[in-house]
Amino acid sequence: MTNSMNKPPVEILEKAKELFNIKIESVADKQYRLISENDKAIPLLSFLKESGYSHLSILTCVDWIEEKKFELVYILFNWSNGVTFLVSTFVDREKPIFYTVKDMWPTAEYYERDVHEFFGVEFEGNERCRLPMILEAWDDLPPLRKDFDPLKFSKEHFPDREYEKDVIHEAKIIRADLEDARGDING
Amino acid sequence: MAQIDERSVWEKIADQLRSRSMWMLHYCTGCGAVELPPSMTSRFDMERLGMGPMATPRQADIFLITGYLSAKTLRRVIYTYEKMADPKYVIGFGSCTINGGIYYDSYSTINRLDYYIPVDLYIAGCMPRPEAILNAFNTLMKMIRKGEANGWKRYKENYEWYKQNQLRSLKEVIIHDEFHE
Repeated sequence: MTNSMNKPPVEILEKAKELFNIKIESVADKQYRLISENDKAIPLLSFLKESGYSHLSILTCVDWIEEKKFELVYILFNWSNGVTFLVSTFVDREKPIFYTVKDMWPTAEYYERDVHEFFGVEFEGNERCRLPMILEAWDDLPPLRKDFDPLKFSKEHFPDREYEKDVIHEAKIIRADLEDARGDING
Repeated sequence: MAQIDERSVWEKIADQLRSRSMWMLHYCTGCGAVELPPSMTSRFDMERLGMGPMATPRQADIFLITGYLSAKTLRRVIYTYEKMADPKYVIGFGSCTINGGIYYDSYSTINRLDYYIPVDLYIAGCMPRPEAILNAFNTLMKMIRKGEANGWKRYKENYEWYKQNQLRSLKEVIIHDEFHE
């Protein structure tokens, strides 16, 4: 293993801090969280891609319902030193619109469709992000939003099995009147 | 109208033969698929019951629903079930197909399989072990010989009811595939 593998990426973090005014947190060994302002996130991502953090592992979203924000998290990986950057930025929950990165990473097109489907965030420039991908024929709130109630949805759309409860039979089993039926309690 | 379990002599003979050569559709959903390799291979050896895997629905006789079904998968399951030739038998594996199991409150998985396609036999458990699966295959063979496994007839008879349930939960059963359209 070369020396560059074990050194923390101080230079690039300082340069990014200077250029893009970001907050940096160390999450774990070789993992850093870069919190960027909304309008500087795309230039920051393009800068990091140029500097070797060229692998977009995933683009995902977190719903902070109390702060009325969606957090978009871009996870970037550097293959030459094994460092992971979690670039996160916040968009307004009432009007969740952000910009696409599909021109930098073609795979992002599908991540953006995924985020659009499950959180309702729109990505300007990705005209295919409204197409359904995993949920077909969905016409409710995006299901991973915190104000969506999955149990209510399940009750409305997918009927439950109805069970008839034979209370007297169960009571007899519990009182051991029916010795033979002891194994029968669950049907 | 003829009774649903009424069979002619020839059908009784055919059922004897059918029960001993069942081909299983190689279509796995959910986590129950893990239990099939031990049931198929040398330890439990499904083939001694005359059962083998088959790749196409046109040539298969039994359809195993091995675990939870999402709405998206259910569309494919209905599509596949309708492609299978009569007679066809369905076995539901595990609690997810019976009442939703641990996914009872999920927005994307169904709670009750026999609401959408007829199920001849359920195996309880989460997941059922290969012993239970082999037991179920034996039971299904007995049911076929007695003429009790007539889910495919029920599907024809109550087609409207099944279709209505499918549409209620899925809105449309037709499959859109953006890569092949």
